[in-house]
Amino acid sequence: MLKLNAVSSGYGDVTILKEIDLDVGGEVFAVLGSNGAGKSTLMKAVAGLLRSQGGTISFEGRDVTRTAPNKLAEMGLAIVPQEGNIFPDLTVRENLSLGALVGTRPRKARMDEVFDLFPDLVPRIDQKAGSLSGGEAQMVAVGRALVQEPRLLLLDEPTTGLSPKYASSLFRKIREIHEQRRIGILLAEQNAVKALEIADRVLVLSLGAIFLNEPAKGIDFDRVRAGYHI
Amino acid sequence: MIDLLSGYAIFSLSTVLVFVALATLLHLQFGLAGIVNFGVVGFWGLGMYAFGILLLNFQLPYFVALILAVAIVALVAFVLGWVVLDLDSQAQLVATLAFAAVIADLVTTEKWLTKGVVGLGTVPHPFGGAQSALWLLLILLVLTVGVIVYARLLGRSPFGRLLAAIRDNEVLARNLGKDTSRAKLIFFTLTSAGMGLFGALSAPVRQFLTPDLLGPGVTFSVWIALIVGGKRWPLGGLLGVLLTIFVFDFLIETYLRVPSDWAQIIPILKLMLYGVTLVLVLLFRPFGLLGDRRQPTSHL
Repeated sequence: MLKLNAVSSGYGDVTILKEIDLDVGGEVFAVLGSNGAGKSTLMKAVAGLLRSQGGTISFEGRDVTRTAPNKLAEMGLAIVPQEGNIFPDLTVRENLSLGALVGTRPRKARMDEVFDLFPDLVPRIDQKAGSLSGGEAQMVAVGRALVQEPRLLLLDEPTTGLSPKYASSLFRKIREIHEQRRIGILLAEQNAVKALEIADRVLVLSLGAIFLNEPAKGIDFDRVRAGYHI
Repeated sequence: MIDLLSGYAIFSLSTVLVFVALATLLHLQFGLAGIVNFGVVGFWGLGMYAFGILLLNFQLPYFVALILAVAIVALVAFVLGWVVLDLDSQAQLVATLAFAAVIADLVTTEKWLTKGVVGLGTVPHPFGGAQSALWLLLILLVLTVGVIVYARLLGRSPFGRLLAAIRDNEVLARNLGKDTSRAKLIFFTLTSAGMGLFGALSAPVRQFLTPDLLGPGVTFSVWIALIVGGKRWPLGGLLGVLLTIFVFDFLIETYLRVPSDWAQIIPILKLMLYGVTLVLVLLFRPFGLLGDRRQPTSHL
């Protein structure tokens, strides 16, 4: 579904990601690593928000290395960035409806599916997204991306700042989304333990390079942890 | 008693309507889409002069000149927007302000085309006859109401929500599947062309065009009116213009009976009241008198 071939990326002249090779199928693919390991840079590079400094990215067989973010959204790729992932001045309903700028199914049906998944949002429907709690805002962000009906969903540290209860609930929902919709999910996470519980495959980044890329099932956690101590 | 059919009253009401339209168009640009346009008078003045020049210098038919004048404004807005719209708001402010200053300067210096400070005239009304000014007022009324209705409908449409999303968080809006730069450019071009249309229709209201009409006071008046009324509301421009330009420039300045000794004080007092009103609104109602209430969205 998503293939990266020797992709390097970063900010200006600074290279963060160094020649990453990756092959993501229709699975929950966890990207782990310490702060500064390059998780967010990887997500931004895939979503077209950062120019890659080298290598090629392809999505469903098409080269998308220099494709604009809006074109990627049309092709079926949605991202929930770590920060600034809602429109704070718009209501919950408006935030979700913006996801329907792509796709052909009726907007209402798509939004109703999100409300089924996140029933806590129903009483907040006409509330400004900027006035929601962190957990509710994250539901809106994920919900908006789901209304886009992506085939690959990028989630950049979606549990950052959430209480353990909200974080656990969101992890369960992410797995539920994958199983119900059969979409690929690329999940960047700090919480390695929880991410491994729901992931099919795990990538550990360390200093912008791949430290480990293996199936999540039966993985030796000490080896994952070692990627955080380089 | 105010005679609403006197020549001066029709002139003043026509001017007020033009300001309502400009403030509503600015609501669309700034309140809805977050585009900072401090060159309102530039688009308005370009439309006015382009129409006057095409009509008087080139002898084009009335409505051909009108359409061409609006097309010229649209073209200039497209080029300016293409350069500045993806820059930050401060850059937009400076660039649009400079654009308006350039238009005012060109109108003054290019005497072969504009007759400079001597002035260009006389621009006739679109329809002849004794009631020609009244017809023009009615045309302005219909068009201004049209702009307000358009603003209300647009705010509730998918394109309107996309513009609001761009205003709120453009980086995220780029991931919604629409080209945000193109959406802003199209919208800026159309709304600025709208300002040009009201400029062109101001030419027969003014009849005699001089460079002093293109001072920054027009832009500032429109901005103050929108901020006072409420930038987020389609009716914000109307309310703001009624409370500022209509009250100060029309009612007080024209109809308030004051001792002759005070006559010179009124314009100064007007500017002071303008300032006080603006400061009070910003202090106590930063989103304008209509506030930050949102339009009902239950139909979405």
